[in-house]
This record gives sequence, C-alpha cells and structure tokens, in this order.
Amino acid sequence: MQSAPTSSSGSADKTTSSTPLGSGGSKDPTAAKRSTRVRPGDFIFRGLSTGSAVLIMVILAGVALFLIISAIPAITADWSTNDQLNTGPTAAFPNFWAYVGPLIWGTLWAAAIALLFGAPVGIGIALFISHYAPRRLASILGYLVDLLAAVPSIVFGLWGIIVIRPFLLPLSDWLNANLGWIPLFGGAVTTTGSTILAGALVLAVMILPIITSISREIFLQTPRLHEEAALALGATRWEMIRLAVFPYAKSGIVSATLLGLGRALGETMAIALIISPAILVSVRLITEGQNSQTIAANIALNFPIATTLQRDALIGTGLMLFVISLAVNSIARAIVGGGKGKRKKSGKPGEPGPLSQLPSGDAATAIALDVVAAPGRAGVVDTEPHISEDDVEGAGK
Amino acid sequence: MKFKNVAATGAVFVTVALALSACSSSSTSGSSTSAATSTASAGVVSTLDSSLKGTITAGGSSAQANAETAWTAAYVAQVAGVTVNYDKSQGSGGGVTNWLAGSYDFAGSDSPLKADQQTSSQTICGTGGGLNLPVYLDGVAIIYNLPGVTSLNLSSATIAKIFNLSITTWNDPAIAADNPGVTLPSTTITTVTRSDGSGTTQNFTNFLSAVDPTDWTYPASNTWPIAGTSAQKGGSGVVQAVGAGAGTIGYADHSAIGTATAATVNKVAFSQDAATAAFTAGATTVPTTTGDLSQKFDYSKLTGATIYPIPLISYQIVCTTFKDPAQAALTKSYVGYVASTVGQAIAAKNAGSAPIPDSMLTQIQTSLATVK
Repeated sequence: MQSAPTSSSGSADKTTSSTPLGSGGSKDPTAAKRSTRVRPGDFIFRGLSTGSAVLIMVILAGVALFLIISAIPAITADWSTNDQLNTGPTAAFPNFWAYVGPLIWGTLWAAAIALLFGAPVGIGIALFISHYAPRRLASILGYLVDLLAAVPSIVFGLWGIIVIRPFLLPLSDWLNANLGWIPLFGGAVTTTGSTILAGALVLAVMILPIITSISREIFLQTPRLHEEAALALGATRWEMIRLAVFPYAKSGIVSATLLGLGRALGETMAIALIISPAILVSVRLITEGQNSQTIAANIALNFPIATTLQRDALIGTGLMLFVISLAVNSIARAIVGGGKGKRKKSGKPGEPGPLSQLPSGDAATAIALDVVAAPGRAGVVDTEPHISEDDVEGAGK
Repeated sequence: MKFKNVAATGAVFVTVALALSACSSSSTSGSSTSAATSTASAGVVSTLDSSLKGTITAGGSSAQANAETAWTAAYVAQVAGVTVNYDKSQGSGGGVTNWLAGSYDFAGSDSPLKADQQTSSQTICGTGGGLNLPVYLDGVAIIYNLPGVTSLNLSSATIAKIFNLSITTWNDPAIAADNPGVTLPSTTITTVTRSDGSGTTQNFTNFLSAVDPTDWTYPASNTWPIAGTSAQKGGSGVVQAVGAGAGTIGYADHSAIGTATAATVNKVAFSQDAATAAFTAGATTVPTTTGDLSQKFDYSKLTGATIYPIPLISYQIVCTTFKDPAQAALTKSYVGYVASTVGQAIAAKNAGSAPIPDSMLTQIQTSLATVK
C-alpha cells in the first residue's frame, strides 16, 4: 500500500517518507512524548491554528453579510421607475430577478459545457498518470498539469481570443451548416468566433488541473489488494481499472468534478474576454449575439460604469453566485463524506480518514503479499511499486 | 496659481514640455528672452510652481488614460516633487464614485456629473459642488474589415441602420448609395460593440439618437442596448474582433484603433483638426453649477467637409472647494497644465487625441481659478 504515493507527484513523494516504512520518522518519537504535557510552543501553535480556523469562518460570514446588506437596496427597488436602475446596463429589466435569472442560467450553462469537456479529459489524465504512464513521465505530467493552475486567467482569456476563437471557426461553420436544425448549433453562425463554445473550451482547460490533481490522488489510493486481486483473476488493465479503481474512486471523482464546477462557476476574466455576451436565456453554442452572460463576467464588465444602485444590483448577482457556489461545494462535501462511510464499510476497518495517510498494517500486508505473489521480485516492488507491465505479467503467471 | 496668456512663456513651455525635459528651473515664469526661437502660437499657458510637493490621486475613464500618462510624465518632469497616480481600471463610473467618496482629487469621466451626483458632490466639495472640465477630445471611429473594400463611406443614417441591425448585408442599397463605384460583396454584416459599459458607447449612442431618431429608437446609454451584436470587452477587444472576422464593423475611440481601417462618416475622415473643428462648431456649455463646463453637442451642426461628426469628450472633475488647500493647489496646478495649449499638444502627440480649442481652455482656466 505504501507503494502508491511514490509513483507520481512531488506531494505524493513527501507523504511516502512519513509512512512507517519510510525514513522520515524523526518527529514521531518526540511527538509521543510531547503529547503528555503542555508546553508553550504547543499552546501557542494550537492558539494560532484555532485562530486561523475561526478567522476563515468570520471572513466567510463577513462576505455573506456584506453581499446581503449591499444587495438589499437593489433587490427591493422598483427597477422600471428608479432613475439609477432604468439606465445603462440594468435598463431593460423590470426587477432584480428578471436581471439575475438569465445570468444564473448563463453561469450554469457555461460551467456545464466546460465540465462536459473538462471532466472526462481531466479524469483521463489522472488515470494515465496514476495507472498507465511510466513513472518518470507520470511525475512530469503531474507537474505540468499543476502548472496549468498557475497560469493567470487573463492569459487564458487572451489565448482564447487569439488562438481558440479562430481555431473553432471552421468547426462552427460546419456544425451550423450540417447540424443547424439542432437548437444548440442553430442561429446566425459566428464570424469572429466569440462564442460560448470557445469560452467553455478555455474554461474546460482551466478546470483541468483541479479535476486532474484530485482524481489522481484518489486513484492512487485504490487499495493495492483490490487491483492485484482483479489482475489475479485475469482482468486486463482496463478491466482492473473498471473493477477496482473506479468503484473505489467514484465519490472522489464526483467531488473532483464538483470542485471543478465551482471553479468554472466563478471564472471571470477569461469569459469576459472571450464570449460575446447578452443577458438572455439561450442554449445556442456558436452564435455571436445569443450567448448567455455569466454572473462573474457581467460584474467585471459593468462594475466600472455602474451607478451606486447598479453596483448594488451587481453585488446582488454576486450574492446569487455565492449561494450557487456554496450549494455546489456542499454537495461535493456531502459526497466525499458519504464516500468515506462507504469505504469504511467495504471491509477495511483499519483505514483512517486522511486520504494520504496509510496504516502500517496495510502497507506491510501489501508488501508481504507482493513477496508471496512474486517471490523473486520483492525488491523490485519495494523500490518501484507502481504497477508496470511486468507486474501484470507476474500476477498473471 | 496664476494663469496668463503670455506668448513668450508659452513658447518656452512648448519647447520644454515636448522635449520632456527634466530641467525644472526653466519652467518658472518670467523668462521671456527666447521668444524668437519658437513660432508656436501663444495659446493658453499655465504657470507651474516647481516647488510644489505632494501626491495627486485620481482615476476613472480609460479613454483618457494614455493622455493622462503623457500629461503626468510631462508634468512631473517640470514639477519633480509631485506624484500623479491615475487609476484607469476604475472606468468613468468608478472614478466618479471614488471621487464622490472623497478618495480622489479629481475624477476622469466620459460623461459629466448627473444632477444627483452634482447634488451629492456637495458633501465633499461644499455648496459649490463639482466642476466638469472638458480636457480630452477624440472621435469615435467606425472601423470595418471587408476584404476587397479598402475605403468605405457611411452616412449617419446608414450607420444607425447598420448598428440597429436592420441592414444585414454589405451590398445593401443604402451602403451602395453611400459608396458609388465601389463593388460591395454580399457578405453578412457582423456588428461588433462593447460588452462592458463605456463612455465610447455613450458618445456613439448620443450621436445615433441625435442624428437618426427614426432608425435609432433606443436611448443614449453607456451600455450597448441591443442584443444580437458581437459584444467585446474594451476598445481593444472590439478592434481585435473586427480584425479577426470578415464582414465586421464596429466602433472604438479613434486613438485606440491602431492599424484597423476606419470608414469615413458623411465623407469626413477622422483627423485631430476635424475633431477640434467639431468641438468648435457643435459644443455648447450646459453648466450644472457655477463655473461648470459640461458640454453638449448639437450634432445637427456637425456637418461639412472639415468637421468629424462623432466627437468624444472626456472630463476631469474637480471640487470647487477642496477640504485640503494643499491638495487644491496641487490639483489646480496639474489640471491647469492639462488644460493649457502645451498640455493639449502633448496629449495630441502621445495619445492621438485632438486638442481642445483655446477658447475653451481659457474658460477652463477661469473656472479653475475659482477652485479653492
């Protein structure tokens, strides 16, 4: 079991060193001693970490309070008669809900398309890194995907404008010409490429790192025993993944996807730059004038010219986004929590909560079983524990 | 601060400022010896006190941002003790909001203070309120990308019909009538507009609703009022999208269009002179308070071969009475410099804007002299 984390990324490597079989055990003995009496350092550190935990709650509550208080004047105002609200960006809407409704739709719609493209690819990359790639390649790939998360969204936006938009033009034309009877591809086809399709594709790239890195960690947690059992029964690599990895990682994949969704919902700059928006409810993907606007991009675009009440209205839309994000994250948490319960029930009572920490019993068992399964190759398994072609053959024999 | 029309000093200033000389000693008033070396017209002169020290905090309109950069560089070269921070990320609305909150010494805005803003400005400015000073003049360019058509002329009415989306192809008879002898393809027109709120949109829709109210039935607004166009973020986004697609047409500040091809409007191509001529011919002062210089264009007067029909004005907004006299002195000095012939020449050279006519600059200096 200790085998798994060594295989891919730097963070996984660190966790290996603190497993009971690893060498980084210098802290452990002292930790046991310290736990018996309270020292100043202990006290201070606990105070700091408790303080941090309280602080984040206070900040979150403060943000929520700010959003609610600021939004109330705009939500309660009569938009058609108010001098500040019946001009400019909020002119065409009778009230707050008529304004925010299409925006909520646009936000969910863009994020959903992004997820449709991003989630399968992200999970595929994670699977490749954890189960297919040679170890060296896997770690490089892991770094590269994580690096993607460090690219500023304005750069993604410019990339979208200059590269992705023109790149998608022929596809848009083809889709409109041949599949235009489907509402998704109908409407007046784009000439500049400024479509929700282009925006969502860039968004998909932007959510890849989050989906990949979480799924990768989950895949690496798959009990070695399950995998080996599947292989021992004559399963191919794909069947092993389907039988052992996916069932185990199901809740992890869902929560990774939902966290990706959370990222997509809040993305602002890239969307604002790439998509030609309109505040309306539309499912069209490849038009210029019928792309639903998202909440975050709408705030970014209109904040600079907003009057006081319009600003409140924009903050109100932000409140809606806050609620949606909170809901998405709660669902993700609930699924992860539920998954933990299930895993405990699956006949492994020794497994602890934190994903990266593995009990000595499991690792020892795994090694022992490895030794049993392939006597002459115990050393190989120890240093190169990641499943390679040889392992599969060995298990098959 | 004193402001005076002295030809000699003006000439010195033109030379000094355009060279962006860091030598502040030459900027003191009274040195009238080198008058003969320059033939520059006298214009409106602001006398700079090079001993001023402090920081001017301002922000707002991104349209005048390039000009602000040029003004700041030239100003600081002569008054080394002053720092000018102009935050263009705020946009006009954000600039006015921050100014009303008291955090800015002046706001840059593409539209003058509205009545309610003028009222609320009395909290920070005293009973005199705020002054809208028109310091930046440019034009809204109509840019297009139509392969095979290198020059295009559009009448005001045709522009209104294109931008209200009632003309949909390039070979429409209305466009053909404006361009005798030009072969127009049947390409579909893609209208590119701003997705973010903007003073450019405000000025352009002012123009449309004034020149062709029958076709343009929408209100003048800082946000594009019609769905169905290709809406892009920022003037640069519009220029980019127009360049990227065939058959596109859009509007942008003239100083920001780069290499894009601009159509002539009523057969007048944009030039700095044509924009200045438009200001002279059509702008009238509509004061919201004593000394205020809010401008309103009478677009029906913007006709003729030398007058560009779609001018764009941006303001610097200052208090009549500052809370801190030191900040008042600093801001008066800077805005006075901006509203001098030299300041306008610097913006024209570095930001591509059109110079405000001297008659208006004189009025700005007069208004500025009342600021305390």
